[in-house]
Amino acid sequence: MITILREFVQSFLTFLERVGLLVRFALRLAAILPTGMLRPRPIIEQVYNTGAMSLVIIMTCGLFIGMVLGLQGYDLLTRFGSEEYLGTATAISLLRELGPVVTALLFAGRAGTALAAELGLMRATDQIAAMEIMAVDPMRRVVLPRFLGGVIAMPLLVSIFIVVALFGAQLVGVEFFGVDSGSYWSQMRSAVELSDIREGLVKGLVFGVACSLIAVYEGYNAVPTAEGVGRATTRTVVISAVVTLILDYILTALML
Amino acid sequence: MNKQSGPAAASAPAVQSPSIAVLRDVHFAVDSGKTVFSGLDIEIRRGAVTAIMGPSGTGKTTLLKLITGQVCADRGQVVVDGLDVARLKRKQIFALRRRMGMLFQNGALLTDLDVFENVAFPLREHTRLPERLIRTIVLTKLHAVGLRGAAALYPQQLSGGMGRRVALARAIVMDPEILIYDEPFAGLDPISMGVVLRLIRSLNDALGITSIVVTHDVREISQIADSSFILSEGKVVASGTTAELRDHPSPIVHQFVDGLADGPVPFHYPAADYHEQLLGGTVFA
Repeated sequence: MITILREFVQSFLTFLERVGLLVRFALRLAAILPTGMLRPRPIIEQVYNTGAMSLVIIMTCGLFIGMVLGLQGYDLLTRFGSEEYLGTATAISLLRELGPVVTALLFAGRAGTALAAELGLMRATDQIAAMEIMAVDPMRRVVLPRFLGGVIAMPLLVSIFIVVALFGAQLVGVEFFGVDSGSYWSQMRSAVELSDIREGLVKGLVFGVACSLIAVYEGYNAVPTAEGVGRATTRTVVISAVVTLILDYILTALML
Repeated sequence: MNKQSGPAAASAPAVQSPSIAVLRDVHFAVDSGKTVFSGLDIEIRRGAVTAIMGPSGTGKTTLLKLITGQVCADRGQVVVDGLDVARLKRKQIFALRRRMGMLFQNGALLTDLDVFENVAFPLREHTRLPERLIRTIVLTKLHAVGLRGAAALYPQQLSGGMGRRVALARAIVMDPEILIYDEPFAGLDPISMGVVLRLIRSLNDALGITSIVVTHDVREISQIADSSFILSEGKVVASGTTAELRDHPSPIVHQFVDGLADGPVPFHYPAADYHEQLLGGTVFA
């Protein structure tokens, strides 16, 4: 019993230590943020690497999730004779929840792991140490642009995901099941409010900060071995997914 | 050349001492508690090629980390060009490092940049030189290591020796006063090894710099080193010219210089009795 208690306390202390290290890392990033913004080129390159390179997976998944929403939504709404509300239902569920959450999960799997692996390999191959020896701060030169690239890319990816998913739902609802196209779009326009769009974008931004921070932190602090880099990428996905869902609940509760 | 002159504390003293780096009674242990140095004393002469040698795990790379301020000694003093490294602030350490160049064991080239950009990297980070001048400097340095024609290649397209030479061009691009080499010959074929060996000597003499070379390769480094130190068990066990080391009475120096498999540094890692372990059936005793 004492052993179990000791292990629990030890795990809790380790958890607190890791949270503290992550917060310290975030504060260091925040401190160099103003000067880091003066060099937009590497940030733009990272928006391309994390954002544009994730477009195919985001758009493909957006299309199919929209089509599933179209199927399920149509099936449910026909039970109440309200299939003309299909556009409204899909739009609100995508804007408020599915868009930001699914994009964040996909982002963690595609861009987050790439960031963590890249930084971990840079550490393992002494590229980070080489920068320090060349009197170049790797946090400013390598970590900050990657973090900001992810933060900027995420709301853009969320928007694209939602738009593609809406067309996916329209494809199934209107083209396959014959829901009136005018009803689909006009009901959506009249029911969706600016606050719904704001909620989606705020969530996208917050998830972008969280997922990018976790990815660069795990990669930058990876143990410089093949196993260490593997663990860092795995932790990136797992922690990002859990943190995204916890933050989603908190943000939803705050914005309802 | 520097964008901003370094803080006063990190600039070279007015009167130059004959020693560029001095380590006095340095004690250092790693996080796991293992002692790396226990009273290390080394004095590295300005303008010379100094070899740091010793069996694996004796802390040669740690010594370089102490000189470059990547780690701090638990006790003792590390003075580089008159500056106590432990007392320097981060900015001052960076100013000191701008006067150093380092060649890593694996080159440590930035894989997302081509050869030209790798060499230009310190110039772009620390200076505001016009593009034309950067181009001229980079091509000059690449020419010095014989790789001007490889400027457009990426690190993945280079052989081990070529990568090491590009890293060398990058290390000298800011015209450093101290050039540090961490195992520069590891994994190189004889031709590449000869090229790197000659480059170390010729760059040292042509640029009037100080070179510190950490290596295991006694025969190769003895051709170019002005003086050498052999480390073992946290201390310097021998120092002097190659000839002096060859005639050194210490058995560990004799074992290291002659490359003997067994001696004070045992061939076998400490283990249980061989026969007992074979007959006992347990894998680990």
